Amino acid sequence: MKMIKEWFQKQNKYFLVGLAMTGLVLVLAVLSFFWTPYSTTSMSTSERFHAPSWKHLFGTDNFGRDIFSRVMQGIGTTILISSLIVLISSGAGVLVGAVTGYFGGIVDEIVMRITDAVNGFPSILLALVVISIMGSGKQNVILSLGIVFSPSFIRIVRSEFIRLRDADYIMRARLMGVRKLRILFVHILPNIFSVFWVSVTIGFNNAILAESGMSYLGIGVQPPDASLGKMLSDAQGYLGRAPWYALAPGLTIVWIVLGFSLLSEGIRRKGEK
Amino acid sequence: MIKVENLSVAFDGPEVVKNVSFKIADGEILGVVGESGSGKSVTALTMMGLVSESAKVTSGKVSYDKNILLEAGKPRDKALYRRYQGQKMSMIFQEPMTSLNPTMKVGAQVEEMLLLHGEERVSGTGRRPKSREERREIRRKRKERVLQSLASVGLQDPERVYDCYPHQLSGGMRQRVMIAMAVILHPGLIVADEPTTALDVTVQSQIIELLKKINREQKNSLLFITHDLNLARSLCHRILVMQDGCIVEEGTTETIFSEPKGEYTKKLISAVPGRTDKKKSAYALKREAHKNGQLSDEELKPLVEVRELNVFYRENANSLFGKSIRKHVVHNANFEVYEGEILGLVGESGCGKTTLSKAMLGLNKLITGEVIHHSNAPQMVFQDPYSSLNPAKTVGWLLQEPLRAQGLLEPSKAMSAKDREEAAYDMLHKIGLKDKYFVRKPSQLSGGQRQRISIGQALITHPGLVIADEPVSALDVTIQAQILDLIRKLQDELKTSFLFISHDINVIYQICDRIMVMKDGKIVEIGETQELFQNPVDAYTKELLK
Repeated sequence: MKMIKEWFQKQNKYFLVGLAMTGLVLVLAVLSFFWTPYSTTSMSTSERFHAPSWKHLFGTDNFGRDIFSRVMQGIGTTILISSLIVLISSGAGVLVGAVTGYFGGIVDEIVMRITDAVNGFPSILLALVVISIMGSGKQNVILSLGIVFSPSFIRIVRSEFIRLRDADYIMRARLMGVRKLRILFVHILPNIFSVFWVSVTIGFNNAILAESGMSYLGIGVQPPDASLGKMLSDAQGYLGRAPWYALAPGLTIVWIVLGFSLLSEGIRRKGEK
Repeated sequence: MIKVENLSVAFDGPEVVKNVSFKIADGEILGVVGESGSGKSVTALTMMGLVSESAKVTSGKVSYDKNILLEAGKPRDKALYRRYQGQKMSMIFQEPMTSLNPTMKVGAQVEEMLLLHGEERVSGTGRRPKSREERREIRRKRKERVLQSLASVGLQDPERVYDCYPHQLSGGMRQRVMIAMAVILHPGLIVADEPTTALDVTVQSQIIELLKKINREQKNSLLFITHDLNLARSLCHRILVMQDGCIVEEGTTETIFSEPKGEYTKKLISAVPGRTDKKKSAYALKREAHKNGQLSDEELKPLVEVRELNVFYRENANSLFGKSIRKHVVHNANFEVYEGEILGLVGESGCGKTTLSKAMLGLNKLITGEVIHHSNAPQMVFQDPYSSLNPAKTVGWLLQEPLRAQGLLEPSKAMSAKDREEAAYDMLHKIGLKDKYFVRKPSQLSGGQRQRISIGQALITHPGLVIADEPVSALDVTIQAQILDLIRKLQDELKTSFLFISHDINVIYQICDRIMVMKDGKIVEIGETQELFQNPVDAYTKELLK
C-alpha cells in the first residue's frame, strides 16, 4: 500500500490524469469483447430515439439500439485498429530508422526521399488511394494507415540514431568489438525510449482520428460492426432529433485523444527529469 | 571597496553558500579557489545580481563603496543593479563560445556597452544631440573608443575584429573580446569566473598576463574564480579557499601556499600535479636496464608501431551531392608504444591528438601509412565522463559488456554468465568501488566514479593498449589526483600500456614515462620524461614547459 502511494507521488499530474482517462477507455474496450449492457445489434422499434436515461446511459439510436453498448464496441474496434496501425508503423519506424540513421549513406538518402514523398500527401488522401487500389475493409484500413504513418516514425527514430551513433559510449562499444546489430538494438535503442513512447502516443492519437475519419467516410469498418466514426456519420441525419446520438461517439473520441495526449505529455515530462 | 557580509544563498533546499564574508580592496586581485559545487560561482553571481530568481539570499548583505546593493529579506533592486552592472562592476565568463552573441558583430557587441551605460549614447534618456553632424561625430568617437579597447586587450588588427562575427575568432580572441567588453567602461570591479578554463595552456598564460596588465593600468579590483590553484598563485594577491559553500581559509597567496592551515587547503595543494620527483616505474627501470645493455632488444618490444602515418579528415560529406573536403590533419607520424609504458601525448586543442588516436584505434579509415598492433584490440577512455557510459544500463551490465562482446566475437573466449559477473565484481573492486554500485545507473554516479568505470570497462578484457584521451580534464583537482593514482596502480598491476593524451603538462609529467609533443599535426619531439623536461629541444616544447 505504501509503495503504491509513493509511486503515485512520484508521477506528474499529466501522467496520472492521462493514465486514468486512457485506463477507463481501455477497460471499456476490453470489456466490450465479452460483455455489453445490451446486444449491439438487437433492434427495437419501440425504443427508437430514447434520450439518455439510467436504462440507456447514452440513449438509443434510430434502430432502437443502445448507444452506450455500441460506443463500447466502437471503442474496442477503434483501439484495436489504431493499435495495429501504430504497431505496424512504429515497427517499420524502428527497423528502417535505426538502419538508415546509423549507417547513413546512399540507402539513407533513398529511404528519406521516399518518406518525403509519402509525407508530401495528406495522410487521409494517401490512405484513400491505397484503399481504392486494395479495396475497403478493416485489414486494408490497418495496412494503408500503417504505411502512411510510418514515415514520421522513421524520421524520429532516425534522428535519434544519428544523434547517438557518434556518442562516446557507442564509439567505445564499437572498440570493444560489439557487433553492429547489437549496438543498434541493445546499446542505442533503450536510450531513445522516452522520445519513442511520446511519438507512439501521438501516433496513436492520429491513428484514432484517421480511423474514425475513414469509417465516417464509409470505407473503414463495415456495418453491422460499430465504430466511432461510423456512428458519427450515421448520427448525422438525426442531429436535430437525437443530438445524443452524435454527441456520444464524438465526445468519446475527444476523451480518448485527450487522454493519450496527456499521457504522452506526462511521459515527455518524465523523460526530461 | 566591495564588502560581502555573512552572505548565505539557498535555492529550493539547503544553503549552497553559507555565511560567507570577505572584502575586496581597491586594486586588489582576490582569488576564490574551490572545487565544482563549492559555491564560488553562486557567490559571485549573487554579488553581481545575476543569480537566477529561484535563489534566495537568506542572510547577509553586499555593499559597494558604502552603498548597499543587496540585503537579505529585501527583493533585488533591479534598477540599482542596472546602474552598477557594466559600469561599476563587470563580469567575464568561462565559456567564450557561448558568452558572445553569435548573430552580432563583435564590434557592435562591445559598442553596446557604451550605448547602454556610456556617455556617448545617441538615443535613450538624457540629452539628445540635435544636429546630424553632432550625432555622426559621436558615433565616430564611439567606434574609436571600441577600437582602442580592442587594441588594448592585445587584439591585433582591431579594425578587422570589429567587423567579425564571434565564430570567425578563436577561443582566445573571443575571451579577449569579452575582456574588452568588461573593461571598456573602467569598472571598479571585474569578476572573472574561470576565464581561462576553456582555453589552451599557452593562450591561458597570455590571458593571465592580460588580466595582470589591466589590473596594473586601470587600478581596478579583480575577483578571480578558479579551480586551478596554480593559476590563482600566479595571478592573485590574496586567496579565499571555499568548500561546501563555506570559506575555509583566507590569506595572502604566499601564506596560503607556504603554510596552509586547513586540512582541505593542504589536500588541495598536494593534489595539484607539480613537477616534483616521482617514483620510477617498472617500465623506466626496464628501459634503463636496456640502455646499460642488461636487457636485449627482444625484451623491450614495441606493442604498437606507427609508421609514416598521415591522417585525413573528411568534412561536409553529409549531403548527397555535397563536395567533401579532405583535410590533412596528422602529418607523417612515426613512433612506437612499448609494452608496459605510459606514453604521454601533449599539444594544444586542434593539433590532431584525438585524430591521431582515433586513427590508431581504426576508427578513422582515411589514412596512409601503417599502424601495426602486436596485441589485441586497444580500448579507449574518453574525456567526458558524462557521455562515455551508456545511460540506459547499469554499472554491472556495462562492466560485463566487453566480455560479452568478446565472447560473441571469439567463441573460444566466451565466459559463462557467472564467470562474467565475477570478473565484473572483481574489476569493480579494482577500480575502488563498492559492491552496491553494481546495480546503479551512470546517472546516479559522480564524474570521478564514472571515469573509474570507464577505465574498468577498458581494462576488463586485458587489452595491450589503452588510449586515454584527456581522462582527467573534466574532473576536480582532488578527484583528478585519485584517478591518476588509479591509472598508475592498475598499470602496474596489469602491465597495460597507455597512450595518455592531455593538454596539461604537469599531469603528463606526473604519470608518463615518455612524452610526445605535437604541434599542428606534426610530432615535434619525443623523449623520456626527465630528459624532455630538462633539455627540451624544440622551440614549441620550450614554450609549453615554461
